[in-house]
Amino acid sequence: MPKLIIPNSVVLQNVRAFIANNSPFEDGSTEAVLEFHPQWVHMEPIALSMAAAWGLWAKRQGLPLRATNLGRQTAYAGRMKLFEHLGIDFDPGLAEREAAGRFVPLAQVTTSRDVGRVIGDISALLHLHEDPETLSAVQYCVSELLRNVLEHSHSPDGAFVCAHRYTTAEPHRVTIAVADCGQGIASHLGRVYPEAMEDHDLALGLAMRPGITGAMAGQYGTPDNAGAGLFITRSIAKGSGGYFFLLSGNAAYRLRRARNDDEMSELYLDAYDEPRRDRYRFESPWLGTAVSVEIRTEKIRDYDNFFQWIFRRIPRRETKRGRIRFT
Amino acid sequence: MRMRIQVPSGSNGFAEDKDEARVLRIEKLLPALERGEGILLDFSKVNYATQSYIHALVGEALQKFGDQVLDKLEFKNCSASVRSVIELVVDYSLAGFPDQKAV
Repeated sequence: MPKLIIPNSVVLQNVRAFIANNSPFEDGSTEAVLEFHPQWVHMEPIALSMAAAWGLWAKRQGLPLRATNLGRQTAYAGRMKLFEHLGIDFDPGLAEREAAGRFVPLAQVTTSRDVGRVIGDISALLHLHEDPETLSAVQYCVSELLRNVLEHSHSPDGAFVCAHRYTTAEPHRVTIAVADCGQGIASHLGRVYPEAMEDHDLALGLAMRPGITGAMAGQYGTPDNAGAGLFITRSIAKGSGGYFFLLSGNAAYRLRRARNDDEMSELYLDAYDEPRRDRYRFESPWLGTAVSVEIRTEKIRDYDNFFQWIFRRIPRRETKRGRIRFT
Repeated sequence: MRMRIQVPSGSNGFAEDKDEARVLRIEKLLPALERGEGILLDFSKVNYATQSYIHALVGEALQKFGDQVLDKLEFKNCSASVRSVIELVVDYSLAGFPDQKAV
């Protein structure tokens, strides 16, 4: 039966167990079930965005969607508008408050205009007007991740995005997640890199390298795609010492938080060279793609220097930068 | 002759709409370059931009005309982060990413 089980905790630290213990795309049933832990549920954006994308997938299959164990423990999911998107009747109650902080509730994004709307809401909803460095980084990641879905996923339901700013528990951070149930990374890259079709882990590694795109028409990308979006998004997470997580098919990649500033400053072009990386394989695939980025607000420092930092990590080649006319 | 293109501000000075960049490229930038005109790209309304936006705006011109096109392009009123992104896009558009053969 297509079933998505939300245990009592789904955070980037334990995301492997959440995915390994689910097989949400199984055949052979007349309904789909979203099952919450009966007593306590703590969900980070990755679980919320995946649940929303999966729920829409189930509906697209013509399966009635049922949620179980709704109650106080699912009030946060309610405030994040999960049940609203899924068409499940549940009143989270206005009096309920979870951990302090601000959030961008789940939004379904199917058009370029939707992307602009979500980005426009981020500052007010996350209360980031006094932290322009974090705001810039969050908006950047949200834009790149959502446009990846719109351009490459072929997801009939588009993408689901949400974010949460954690301001009490350390480390202070903004966590963003984007999920879809589209064609997945291997299928997208497979048109240009056939080997990616055979190995999801390899496909993820390719997708995170700069200059790799399934839309590639020439050596340095198409007029509209350079294949650097996921690389730069991963770099922003790394540069603030936060988590980066990417799931597609039966493979996932996770970059863990940096333990100190020295670890933050080392950036690898090949994500699989990162010392604090995890590579997972799962029995049951995720039919689509899910990404989560954690930006640590105390570590973001100077956003303007991010690209210089990324630039310095790319091995020096003969360049024409000196000929660019800035006035 | 030099054409002036005002780059739109996007959402609160964040230029990220690639569709918008594509329109500027196809309708203004490339035709002007084909005619041999210079282009002034004015970023005064932009605080920062995504690499994808800058790529969609100028990447094709760099790949099509090579480094000679830099003599035709002027980037005006760029913030530090926009400047960095332009440098990155120019760099890989002309020289490729590492592990790729440079032109």
